[in-house]
Amino acid sequence: MEILVCMKQVPDDSVEIRLGKDGQPDLSQAESQGNAFDTYALEMAVRYIEANGGAVTVLTVGTEDDKACLRNSLSVGAAKVVLVEGSGTDAAGTAALLAGGIKKLEAENGAAFDMVFCGRESTDYIGGEVGEILAETLKRPFVTDVVEVEPADAKVVVKKELESGYLKVESPIPSVFTIAKPNYDPRYPSVKSKIAARRAKIPTVAQSELALEDGALNAKVSHKAFLEPPKREAGVLVKEADAATAVAKALEILAADKVL
Amino acid sequence: MATYNKLTPELIEQLKAAAPGHLYTGEDVNEDYSHDEMPIYGKQMPDALLMATSTEEIAAVMKICNDNLIPVTPRGAGTGLAGGCVPVLGGVVIDTTKMKKILSYDLENFTVTIQPGVLLQELADDCQRQGYLYPPDPGEKLATVGGNVSTNAGGMRAVKYGTTRDYVLAMKVVLPTGEITKFGAAVSKTSSGYSLLNLMIGSEGTLGIITELTLKIIPAPKKVISLVIPFEDLESAISTVPLIKKANLGPQALEFMEREIVLSSERYIGRSVFPQVIDGVTAGAYLLVTFDGEDEDELLDLVEKTSDLVLEQGALDVLVADSPAKIKDAWAARSSFLEAIEAETKLLDECDVVVPCNQIASFLTFAKQYGEECGLIIKSFGHAGDGNLHIYQCSNDLPEEEFKARVDKYFHTLYDHAVQCGGQVSGEHGIGRGKVKYLIESVGETNMALMEGIKKVFDPNMILNPGKVCYTL
Repeated sequence: MEILVCMKQVPDDSVEIRLGKDGQPDLSQAESQGNAFDTYALEMAVRYIEANGGAVTVLTVGTEDDKACLRNSLSVGAAKVVLVEGSGTDAAGTAALLAGGIKKLEAENGAAFDMVFCGRESTDYIGGEVGEILAETLKRPFVTDVVEVEPADAKVVVKKELESGYLKVESPIPSVFTIAKPNYDPRYPSVKSKIAARRAKIPTVAQSELALEDGALNAKVSHKAFLEPPKREAGVLVKEADAATAVAKALEILAADKVL
Repeated sequence: MATYNKLTPELIEQLKAAAPGHLYTGEDVNEDYSHDEMPIYGKQMPDALLMATSTEEIAAVMKICNDNLIPVTPRGAGTGLAGGCVPVLGGVVIDTTKMKKILSYDLENFTVTIQPGVLLQELADDCQRQGYLYPPDPGEKLATVGGNVSTNAGGMRAVKYGTTRDYVLAMKVVLPTGEITKFGAAVSKTSSGYSLLNLMIGSEGTLGIITELTLKIIPAPKKVISLVIPFEDLESAISTVPLIKKANLGPQALEFMEREIVLSSERYIGRSVFPQVIDGVTAGAYLLVTFDGEDEDELLDLVEKTSDLVLEQGALDVLVADSPAKIKDAWAARSSFLEAIEAETKLLDECDVVVPCNQIASFLTFAKQYGEECGLIIKSFGHAGDGNLHIYQCSNDLPEEEFKARVDKYFHTLYDHAVQCGGQVSGEHGIGRGKVKYLIESVGETNMALMEGIKKVFDPNMILNPGKVCYTL
């Protein structure tokens, strides 16, 4: 089984990001790391091939700086990593670059990847669109929010997370899945694998090497401005001698503010 | 024992006039003010609570209390573990959490001046936004910095950067008499008489109330990497610590933890971070090591050297937490130990004894064996790099009085053993109310008399935080 995992490098989502004077997010204090859902996807892929055989390839669209997340991928079980140089101006553009990279690798391999995993969303823009557009671009079966994959003859059975429960879905391969949080965490690299990954050469594919359709990278949508969320207003403390009076007072305030 | 008076309605009116709108009594005072995070040392509600907003307000209230022999207990966020902020004689509690402004930075002299109620997490985050690091890193991030100074809190980074004491340059203090004074200065060195500043640090609110602090900060390291190192047993883990230090690898943090407490913590946080079985061998203990530096290459060189060293000493593996998320997860498990123990334990007590680093393993073996003899469940973790051990005594089935009696017996023997090993009663939590008798046994009457004498110089009427640190009531 050959699995391709799409990995995006994002700013550390535990750091509070504010807008700078130029109106752009100030990322100076946020270290970069692999997108959390993509790291779940990689862990799921590595566990799958450890149990069933095969290899995992990780593909990233980006620049030289994004090679860090590919090195980290090598240290936790990826057999091969590739950087596609470029930057999608919107989700469709990113999906086009990923699809171009995947097709190039598949042409070199002489076979399609059995499964393509994408994190369900990235933790920076939280668009949740790239996986869907990629599946459509590759014209492959598609399941969202997958938390488990098991082999089933020439197919796979995936467990899909729903709002309140799970759904088991059988899918033919090759196929594309977006991955939600499984019930385990990504592994830590050992020092040995980390040092080996540090010395590895990361293959790079130039945008010009991809067979992209005309206009594939033209933005379909563009963002106009970043806006910070409104500041939370101070609450109102209702302080009365007994609960009944306090509730009556609270209802009075809610009614006055037309909440009720 | 000194003589004290009760608060009268007239005195309460005087206090209210001195702190308009900030003095509370009766049902307006939350039950939280009767204890810290170790209620087993006893609870007591104050008769009045001052939510202080300024040095002058504290000074005015202190003066009234001193003139009328009313006990006063200062309090930060109430996260202490030795009963230090419990108003054992009632009286007035002065809460400094509303004094939470970061007043100014002097980035040419690497200092920040703050009010005492700033939370450690707030200070750390604010410094980070400026590109600086306030190095002290006690586990409780919701403690106030004023509280940290009052206990000379240590934390995970003490092995490289030292404790809170090493970062306090100056402070404004309200003395028990109500006088306002300043100790120390924002300078790098001093040889200017007795260090009243250092007397205040670690005095647990018994000598004066800190109302402003000038602290040292350093340029923030650009990159951090943590290692999770499993070992078959604690002895093997601890035996590598002197070697890591001797090799001059300079870890920022060097923590040890045993299997049982790791499992408790992982159940508590709902994540499995530490490997349980490595090549068929069950991990019995772990080291969690952090390095900081200017770039990843520099750190990976240190990581490689450390890895070679510990693997040679029997480490089962060396795992790298190299992304912010992984570092956070590894340390989340470590930072949740107390909460995890609390969640699974009906009765608990703790000692944060400190021993020479090479005594850690044998001391813990003694602590566990003697715990079994006393019929107590013992869970432990701590700072392998500086010998500060957190040893918890737990029980889910003993009656409280029986538990307290067994713990008392356990503490007497354990602290005695610590002193014989060259250690001390508390590494970072302080003496508060809970550990005074063990301190007396540990340092002896001469030293206790000196401490009590110092207390009397600062506080002639003994009204500030009575019955704490250096004497019992």
